[in-house]
Amino acid sequence: MNADDIKAQPNPFAGRNPGRRWISRGVMVLCTLCTALALAVLFVVLAYMGIRGIEYMTPAFFTNLPLQSPEGMRNCIIGTVILVGLASVLGVPVGMLCGIYMAEYAGKGWFTYLAQLVMDLLAGTPTILLGVIAWQLVVVPLHQQSGWSGALALAFIMVPIVARASEEMLRLVPHPHREASAGLGASKAQTLFMVILPAAKAGITTGIMLGIARVAGETAPLLFTALGNDQAVYNPSQPYPSLTLKIWQYSQSAEPAWRHQAWTAVLVLVTMVLLFTAAVRFTVRGRKVNAI
Amino acid sequence: MTAPTDPTLPHNPFIDVQQNAFRRGVDKATKAAALGGVLLTITILIIVFVVLIHGSWMALRQIGWHFFTTQAWNPVPGRDQYGVLSFLYGTGVTTFLALLIGVPLSIGTAIFITRIAPRWLAGPVSFLVELLAAIPSIAYGLWGCFVMSPWLQNYLEPILYDALKHIKLIPVGKYPSGRIEFFPANLVHGGPSGSDFLAGGLILTIMILPIITAITRDVLLQFPQEIEHGAYGLGATWWQTTRLALAYCRAGIFGAVMLGMARAIGETMAVIMVIGNTDHISASLFAGGQTMSGVLANEFMEADHPIYLSAMFYVALVLMLSSLVTNVIARALLSRIDRERQLA
Repeated sequence: MNADDIKAQPNPFAGRNPGRRWISRGVMVLCTLCTALALAVLFVVLAYMGIRGIEYMTPAFFTNLPLQSPEGMRNCIIGTVILVGLASVLGVPVGMLCGIYMAEYAGKGWFTYLAQLVMDLLAGTPTILLGVIAWQLVVVPLHQQSGWSGALALAFIMVPIVARASEEMLRLVPHPHREASAGLGASKAQTLFMVILPAAKAGITTGIMLGIARVAGETAPLLFTALGNDQAVYNPSQPYPSLTLKIWQYSQSAEPAWRHQAWTAVLVLVTMVLLFTAAVRFTVRGRKVNAI
Repeated sequence: MTAPTDPTLPHNPFIDVQQNAFRRGVDKATKAAALGGVLLTITILIIVFVVLIHGSWMALRQIGWHFFTTQAWNPVPGRDQYGVLSFLYGTGVTTFLALLIGVPLSIGTAIFITRIAPRWLAGPVSFLVELLAAIPSIAYGLWGCFVMSPWLQNYLEPILYDALKHIKLIPVGKYPSGRIEFFPANLVHGGPSGSDFLAGGLILTIMILPIITAITRDVLLQFPQEIEHGAYGLGATWWQTTRLALAYCRAGIFGAVMLGMARAIGETMAVIMVIGNTDHISASLFAGGQTMSGVLANEFMEADHPIYLSAMFYVALVLMLSSLVTNVIARALLSRIDRERQLA
């Protein structure tokens, strides 16, 4: 091909469409409007939660039980915290083990591919189905809704989140660290426990926090499992109080005072979740954590 | 032979534990534990399927394929009829509406973040959009049911009604007695209620927007600088270059859309709080409906006789399979992107 042939090629971008600069500007404006709309929705949703939540907030909300007068949700707040704690105890170790396997041991064969697919599918399973599974596994044999069954359902959700976060964080540890450790005579396990995990500690912690933030707001998997409780009962073998279940119950009622409580509860819940998420974002800024 | 330890050398943290059998044991135990975690996770997914198929076995035997051609959902003992059709329709319509509105919005936002916004703005905007993903679904539900639904009923839907009242939709099947009839239906019909397919679609739009935006953003960032510079060098405008980027990243963007769709299919709480919870099939945007996850949330605990409970499990199985197919397609598309990135 000589220079004349190149000149003979028509330019694919110019010429045909004289208005293309205006189209370009128009699309730019459209994309900006899309962003503005998305942010406006976020602003409106948060503004309503903030204004209504603070408007109806009372000290009794944090100190009293649902059936006391004045009403509160002390037990639900504590219940959600414990439930999420139990779920973390069940789900975090399994998730971390999965992440360690995928980052440190997995080869390129079919098993790695299968494990990756299974974790992706588990992450994509509708959470209400995980509630159904926990119901069948725990509630049916024991003939009673319980905190354990709710924690199990939440743990199912946490496993793939923690697994993926751990895997990504472990992969961020530079490979020369592993080589240097091996060069000093360390075994694979020593390298893992004394070099890689300490280096990835902050990242894995934030991954766990993301998982916690995610399950703290879950309602659907608790409907058939934790069930809710109006008493200050924190025994996991009994029906368990939860903030999200209480919001659901009160939002369905015609009683204005209960609806007001639901708004306050949503504000408390969203504040907890967003603080966790924002903390994670600021800790690992610049590094990639896949929250979704 | 062991090397003599030189006290002047720096301390080596690993050399003290040179008991080889023990070290190898720990090594193997660690690997086995990690593998055990993976196997346990695989078992969980197997258990999900076993439980769902076991629970729905009775309904699979007794109802079989009629489940997909029956609209009625009538759990009264003796006269009971179970059909998933209206719930499939509800899930389908709300998901379709959410994608119809959400996909252009999300892609526009992702283009803004990656190709328009200056760097000081892109980070915060990205962060704020991801905050949308962190808000729990019950919070969206409460907002939807007490703020969005009344607003729809009083402001948006009357305007939409005037605008769309002459539009007849493609014939929609209706199954009053198990028989299939077709008739043209109005896109908007009946009074605005605020608790309808439109509300369900809108709340899902908000919920899938951050997912599609975040993944599309990541995918668009992979567009090679060389192509971009080449296009500009040939005199392409910003939009012509962006179209090249969209075409280059189309598989990943489609994967992002499928992932958003999977989220919309599985979403429960926010939708049941705004969709009206009736088992009707209507072409009207203003008609109430029900989704598969919604009927599970509302009725699973009330299923007090065996075939009713089994039918609930059948719904759960259909929901699982819909979500599975969507997720598999999404992951296949997105992992291809990952592989290409690793090769590059």
